[in-house]
Amino acid sequence: MGFAAACAVACAAQDLRVPQSAVAGEIATISTTGSGNATFYLIGPGVSRKTDVTLGQEVPLAAQDLRNAGEYLAIVCSGTCSSANFYVSAAKPSSITFLVHPSRVPVGQENVVSGVAFPFDQHHNLVLTTQNVSFQLTAKDASLWSHPVQTQNGVAWFRTSSGKSAGPVQVVSALGDLTSRRVLQQVASDPCNLRITGQRTKAGILVQTDPVHDCAGNVVSDGTIVTFTATGAQGTGTVDAPIKQGIARAQIDAPGAAAISVASGVVMGNEIHVGAQP
Amino acid sequence: MTRTFKSAAHILFAAPVAALMILLFAAAPDSTAADTNVQVQLNTQKAGPREIEPLTARGILRDYRFAWTSMAQALESNTLDPFEGPFSGDARQWLRQTVLGQQQSGLSRRYLDQTHQLEVVFYAPEGDVMELHDTAQYQLQIRDGDKTIHDEHVVVHYVVLMTPAADRWVIRQLQAVPQF
Repeated sequence: MGFAAACAVACAAQDLRVPQSAVAGEIATISTTGSGNATFYLIGPGVSRKTDVTLGQEVPLAAQDLRNAGEYLAIVCSGTCSSANFYVSAAKPSSITFLVHPSRVPVGQENVVSGVAFPFDQHHNLVLTTQNVSFQLTAKDASLWSHPVQTQNGVAWFRTSSGKSAGPVQVVSALGDLTSRRVLQQVASDPCNLRITGQRTKAGILVQTDPVHDCAGNVVSDGTIVTFTATGAQGTGTVDAPIKQGIARAQIDAPGAAAISVASGVVMGNEIHVGAQP
Repeated sequence: MTRTFKSAAHILFAAPVAALMILLFAAAPDSTAADTNVQVQLNTQKAGPREIEPLTARGILRDYRFAWTSMAQALESNTLDPFEGPFSGDARQWLRQTVLGQQQSGLSRRYLDQTHQLEVVFYAPEGDVMELHDTAQYQLQIRDGDKTIHDEHVVVHYVVLMTPAADRWVIRQLQAVPQF
């Protein structure tokens, strides 16, 4: 502070006039007063420049020097130094950073899909002026949901529920001509109306499910585990089987009569009774 | 010329309010070349849509302070190593450019007596990005070789984007603005 106060008295002959509003990546000029040679410094985000200048002439600032938004400090020294600061703001948006979660989601779940969008200019500065961002969810070219949002502090976000149908969903954030796309996979939810049939074979009891769907009619994903439980005179046994092509099958080694039930996750199915081996 | 100076109002801004979650993290000065007396206060009252857990708040305080300590060391000694870790992406890129520019021109910067009033203004629903506003105050010294050409107490407003990395929060964006 002492240095600055001293300069205010001694440096009247080398005043600086800095840009009132500068935009990232655009040229600008700083005007100086006085006469004679001086050293000019430009201090800012990503720039630390030192050049010789002639007082009384304009100092050009290259677009490259001002590509980062932020605060800049111009200093001119000729015996003593004087300084002035100015701000460079982000240019117009040229890209959208778009984060979407999750990448895989069961259908029919409330508020499970969320997205966050940040507009950036071509120099990767965060655009802090208010922008209108449109979020859209589409599946097979049909719009499932859309929502316009204004950025606040350089960010726009949404949260919504998953749709009713399994399959890929495109999530798009659009800002003017700019778009950013992500794909999330909607998968069937928990099985609904889980039903099994069974028959005795030479090797035991062969049980299998009907095609497993969720309550919206989507085929439950292959690999989903179905648990068969057999209860008979000899005790209780369980067999886990993954769904393959919509159906889960298991062979249960039970010579006597058995009651067989089925479950997948928290969903229970029907129970069947199979008689003893003849 | 929009430089603002330290005022009582800024100090009052930091006054603890019972309803606010304000945490203080400060370290004693040490004898290293760069001034490590960096004080950070965090206000999470406006955080949303995701709520900030106390453990996360402590991590932000620790890592933000470490980032500024590292930045001060790097810009004073003109070395790049301190940027590895606390900074990532565009923030690390322009900080590296700054040091390289300083090495070429023989300049260095000192950030002394730092205080940061940090406020979380956005925490993403899934916790993968956080935006903060930092009202920073420090003594900024610009040196050309051994000669100090600028020495001023400044108040600077920073918009900050931080993301979680493997074991810490890193600064991806650090952008000064005239006001919030």
